Amino acid sequence: MSKSDTIQFSQPEENTLGVVVGNARRAVQSTARRLGRAASAHRASLGTAFLGLGAVIVVGLRAVYGLIWFVGQWEVYPEPFAALAAWIVLAAVLVGAIVMSRVTGDRLPDWMFGLFLAGLAIAFALDVIAIWELRDIGGHATAAVTAGMALLVLVALRGSVEILAATAIVALALLVVMFLDAPLGAFGDATWIATQVTAIAGAVLPPLIGVVIVEGFRRMVQVELDRVLVQSTVSAPRFAVGMLASEELARLDLAAEELLDAVATKKTNLPLTPKNASVAAQLATELRLHLIEGRRETWLYHAVSESEQLGKSVTLSDKSSLAGLLDPTQRDGLLSAAWLLVADVPSAANPRRRGATRTVNLQIGPVVPGGDVPDHKIAVPITITTTGVPRNRVDSGVWDAIGRIGRYSDSTQDGSLRVDIDCIVDNPADQ
Amino acid sequence: MTHSMDLISKERDRLLQRSARVYGLGFTAVSAVCFALPGAVPIPVLLIGSPLYVILAAALVAVGLSRAIWWPIIALVAGLGVVATVALLAAPPTVAASLAVLNLAAAGIPSIALVLTTTLPRLLLLGVGALASVATIVAAEIAEPPQALRAGGTALVGWGLAALVAVWINAGVPQVAKRIASIGRAHRAERQASELEAQRRQGARLLHDTVLATLTLLAHSGVGVKPDALRQQAADDARLLRQLRLGQAPATPTETGSVPVITTDETVLGTTLESVKQRFGRMGLTVSWHGTGQVLLPSEVLDAFLLALAECLENVRRHSGVTEAHVTITDDDKMVRALVTDAGVGFDISDIDEAKLGFAESVVGRLREVGGNARLFSAPGSGTTVALEVPRG
Repeated sequence: MSKSDTIQFSQPEENTLGVVVGNARRAVQSTARRLGRAASAHRASLGTAFLGLGAVIVVGLRAVYGLIWFVGQWEVYPEPFAALAAWIVLAAVLVGAIVMSRVTGDRLPDWMFGLFLAGLAIAFALDVIAIWELRDIGGHATAAVTAGMALLVLVALRGSVEILAATAIVALALLVVMFLDAPLGAFGDATWIATQVTAIAGAVLPPLIGVVIVEGFRRMVQVELDRVLVQSTVSAPRFAVGMLASEELARLDLAAEELLDAVATKKTNLPLTPKNASVAAQLATELRLHLIEGRRETWLYHAVSESEQLGKSVTLSDKSSLAGLLDPTQRDGLLSAAWLLVADVPSAANPRRRGATRTVNLQIGPVVPGGDVPDHKIAVPITITTTGVPRNRVDSGVWDAIGRIGRYSDSTQDGSLRVDIDCIVDNPADQ
Repeated sequence: MTHSMDLISKERDRLLQRSARVYGLGFTAVSAVCFALPGAVPIPVLLIGSPLYVILAAALVAVGLSRAIWWPIIALVAGLGVVATVALLAAPPTVAASLAVLNLAAAGIPSIALVLTTTLPRLLLLGVGALASVATIVAAEIAEPPQALRAGGTALVGWGLAALVAVWINAGVPQVAKRIASIGRAHRAERQASELEAQRRQGARLLHDTVLATLTLLAHSGVGVKPDALRQQAADDARLLRQLRLGQAPATPTETGSVPVITTDETVLGTTLESVKQRFGRMGLTVSWHGTGQVLLPSEVLDAFLLALAECLENVRRHSGVTEAHVTITDDDKMVRALVTDAGVGFDISDIDEAKLGFAESVVGRLREVGGNARLFSAPGSGTTVALEVPRG
């Protein structure tokens, strides 16, 4: 049998029943990422271009300050023209980078990044040559220090790791030239050391802080995007197939179509090889599960499984699918509350500390008959139990959000917050 | 939505807090190194200054974690305390001490400006902090006026720069929130479309039933069916799936080559019975029809009816050992009935687990969904009869 005779289709990576089995978690997350990909073209540029502009302004101000300092020291310089050349190169590199970033968009191409770094290196070297004789690099370097800070310009245009690596190289280069150029007895001289340390800090800390800000901003945008995308479940019908299942069904249909087409057009020989036969059997099983059993989950299930943020730390117990009965305001409240409870994790900023993550369990129902409920309404009890959420560290927004779901009472269970909510919804029997 | 603005504001505050922490701790560390160098300041000043540095660093760490206004205030007081100590006890300062207080007054302390631009009291604190920093460092350097001027100016620029960063980030957030909101709206539309799409695909049950039957045949490597017939069947099904994919209405399979687009809710039974007959014909089971074919049924009832019928015929094909089956359709005011009979080997009903036959799930279950029912009659050696009935709607 020739190789092309084997039927190719992507193996289902997820059991598409409501039950999450095996590595379906990964599958769900990868699908969620796939869903987010539509937005990811914008994602890279969302807001960071604006931050980049701010960085350009800061670097510009710093450059002017450095230039004034340099002009003031003209007389002192042993080789003022080398320093002047350093400033000209630096200015050309900066202007070039700013112009090109406006032209090429959100990301500086590799070769331009290389050129930029080479330019900085030249400016750095020229400035060091200009002040070598003075034996005090930290006290007199102007263009060399500004060259380090100039990396800030690229903070929104290149990856953080690249910026950090370049910053480290600048720091190292400064250390080396300072060491080589040190006068006799410098290492016991507080003045000399303080001057060099301050100069290194001036070159290195701004790009570092810039990276922290831009990374934080990107993360903020991602969290907000995740939240907004999941927010669309609030207006979903009582039961929904969900974007994952819909994609799965379309994928299975396509796989079946391709398989049948291959048979029809004689690309695949009959009778089928055992391998192809098992592919057909698997496809039939998946499709049957989808169609006969269906996938009837509530908006809340979809919200939790599609969100990176909620998926990590929220579990849901809703055996009777009662979440579907909540009206949009109540849904928004529940989603926001869950969001605020898990999003306020200090470890979110620091993935290495993920061990201490908060978790939230949402228990919906069961419905208890009777009680003080208006006509045509039923009361759905909702219990939010948490771990790692001290009562006194709850964001005030959580109470507003829970208030929109219904009357509630809060308590502490195992040192963590517990909220019991009486959620009044329309009786589905009356609809 | 004001509400979503709240949430992103919280995220923004956290970002500013964390940035202030890195900013402040970085320059405070540099300042502390200069301060602690041998000979930079007299020993008493070192003893007073060191705990103040510790308090400043602790307050900056707290600024990163909490939005409480007390932490920037403590940081400001501790930082200015160091500068004031130098001014009072070590003036005129050595170069190292000068750089230590400059790093504090122009960067370490102003880092708190990042969290001080959102409300009026915070802005006031920012202004007070900036003025106090400038005043204290000028006091420390006053012995040498040009140096005092430079240091004061640098401190002022440092505060301005930190405030600019904060204002800049604050200005960026609403822009980005607006764009994210529009992505969210697009996503909501996409979700609705996807929901409709899934319903459409799930609704095309009749189509999927023939696809599943063909896939099941292929799963048995197509053994026992003529290759040409199977290819024909596969071609028909692939075409139907393609039409479904390209967004045409779920089509009912009929004779090869023509697929009517159903526009009304009701469908004539006869048209579709013919396609079932053809499908089984290709697989080697001859189906003979008897009785009326001109019955109108609502589409979901028709679907369930045909699915059950096809399931029965599939059982005949696989288990009966004969190649012919009879289907008799009768109807009255309320119900449409079908009798599926074969003259095959039959079986003892009590011997057979109904679920194993797939009978309960696929036939009875589907019919009951639309208010119908099914009954099974058989005995070893005397063939099998299934009676199906569905309401007329």
